[in-house]
Amino acid sequence: MTLAKLVVKNITRRRGRFVFTLLGITIGIASFVTFLSLGGNLKNEIHRESAALGANLIVTPKGSCAYEQVSILTGEQLPTTITMDEVAKICAIKGLTAVPFLTEKTAISNKPVAVNGILPAEMKAFKGWEMDKGAYFSAHNEPGAVVGAVAARQFKLQPGSFITVRGEQLPVKGVLKESGGRDDITIFLSLPVAQRLFKAVDRVSYVAIKVDDLTLIDSYILKIKEAVSLAMMAATYERKREIGILQALGAKQGTIFTIFMLESGFYGLIGGVSGVLGGLFCSVVAAPYISQNAFTSFVKGSGTGSMLDPGIIVGSIAFSTAVAILAGLYPAWRAARLSPVEAISYE
Amino acid sequence: MNDMIIRTENAAKSYTTGTVTTHALRGVTLGIPPGSFTCIVGPSGHGKSTLMHLIGGLDRPSEGSVFLDGCEISTLDNSNMAKLRAQKIGFVFQFFNLLQSLTAAENVEIAMMLAGIPEKEQASRALKLLALVGLAEKADAKPSQLSGGQQQRVAIARALANDPAILLMDEPTGNLDSAAEGEILAILRSLHAVGKTIVIVTHNDEIAKTAENIIRVMDGRVLP
Repeated sequence: MTLAKLVVKNITRRRGRFVFTLLGITIGIASFVTFLSLGGNLKNEIHRESAALGANLIVTPKGSCAYEQVSILTGEQLPTTITMDEVAKICAIKGLTAVPFLTEKTAISNKPVAVNGILPAEMKAFKGWEMDKGAYFSAHNEPGAVVGAVAARQFKLQPGSFITVRGEQLPVKGVLKESGGRDDITIFLSLPVAQRLFKAVDRVSYVAIKVDDLTLIDSYILKIKEAVSLAMMAATYERKREIGILQALGAKQGTIFTIFMLESGFYGLIGGVSGVLGGLFCSVVAAPYISQNAFTSFVKGSGTGSMLDPGIIVGSIAFSTAVAILAGLYPAWRAARLSPVEAISYE
Repeated sequence: MNDMIIRTENAAKSYTTGTVTTHALRGVTLGIPPGSFTCIVGPSGHGKSTLMHLIGGLDRPSEGSVFLDGCEISTLDNSNMAKLRAQKIGFVFQFFNLLQSLTAAENVEIAMMLAGIPEKEQASRALKLLALVGLAEKADAKPSQLSGGQQQRVAIARALANDPAILLMDEPTGNLDSAAEGEILAILRSLHAVGKTIVIVTHNDEIAKTAENIIRVMDGRVLP
């Protein structure tokens, strides 16, 4: 008999609790992994798109939700409620560069394509765009279009071609160099032209701003920690008598503490492994069944973000184990401090 | 008095709950000779179990001293107290107190593990001890597959795991039928015959009759 064997036997004997505790941890970690996997893609996409956009901060219309913020990156349409006055006020703030966008959609050969109304000069400086073919806008309200490289290939556009937007024929002035971002599949018009065509005079969809880094949300961590801590606490109190027996047999406080810590760690490790498997299963298998829309296709990434990120796998298992050990510290300490008489008299 | 294996001097134990102080033991002085068969008898709630906890190193007296094999144990720290329990004392309780997740053999091995006996020595020794209590063929059985009498025999084998000089038992037959009680008593007599000091806390007059020494506890005091 060894401590490790004792711990494994203790855990596996109480099959009901073993299964439910493990299930709790598994679901926690699985959700964590699912969100991390999907969110990892989301984060990568946002970073990639934000980098392509050249922005760290995006100002969206008041009351818009997260979906709409993501829509910016997917090129979805947004309510156009930000006025040019407001854009001017933002631009007046020191320490940032603000670039307004009007995002709309049009159809070419019956296929939807994103149309962005932009301030040509500011945008070029903001993004550092280069031309692949043709020329860039030469005036802030020039009636014409500059198209992304992929859109140009898809719709066979080149300088001199014409596109029809809202019934108006516009000449294609030039094609941008491929950036790998959303720009490649977007058609750019000058902002005044876009505002006129889409009847959004004096209004924009959002304003991209270059400032500091985006921050992350860590709220999942606390939720799992709570769940695991409660499970382990329950496990300890039910087991006073067992602690008493071990103490009568000569177990030192350190031994009792070690047994409970090993048990917590074991739960965390196994829960972490099964949680990672469950989470990856969800994120890989469930993804195709999520209805296709701009958001889900965006979340699933554009082929560059891998769902099976080894960092997420190792990190989640380590995280689960660490949280379980942390959560087990107090119950283990309580267990070790039980007086033998109190423990042995426990019915 | 100094040749006693167990000795108490004016040992008292009181518990305070809120403003109420309960005197479980009110100054007990006694000696138990090595190799003796001693019963501690008395009504429930008069301090028998408290006395057993003190002489077994499970608890410390509020006042007075407890000596085990010449060593004052009431001043030991928790770690040394645990070590002493592992090496010098074997406990047997009324409700068997086996670990349900382990087999009979493993229940015996766990006591050896706690005393630091290497794993490879544990199994063969556990089997010998189970054979001693007549349960060699039940080594792989879980406690739930054993009768009460069999479980108590496993508990005795476990108490013997580290070859302690003293066996301390709290109502060891209190939960058994008379046939099982007979088996347990036969085992205890054979252990006594090989020199173990046996101390039994009991209500049972049949057991008390067979004892060499009887310590009567009443109202937290030992009757003369």
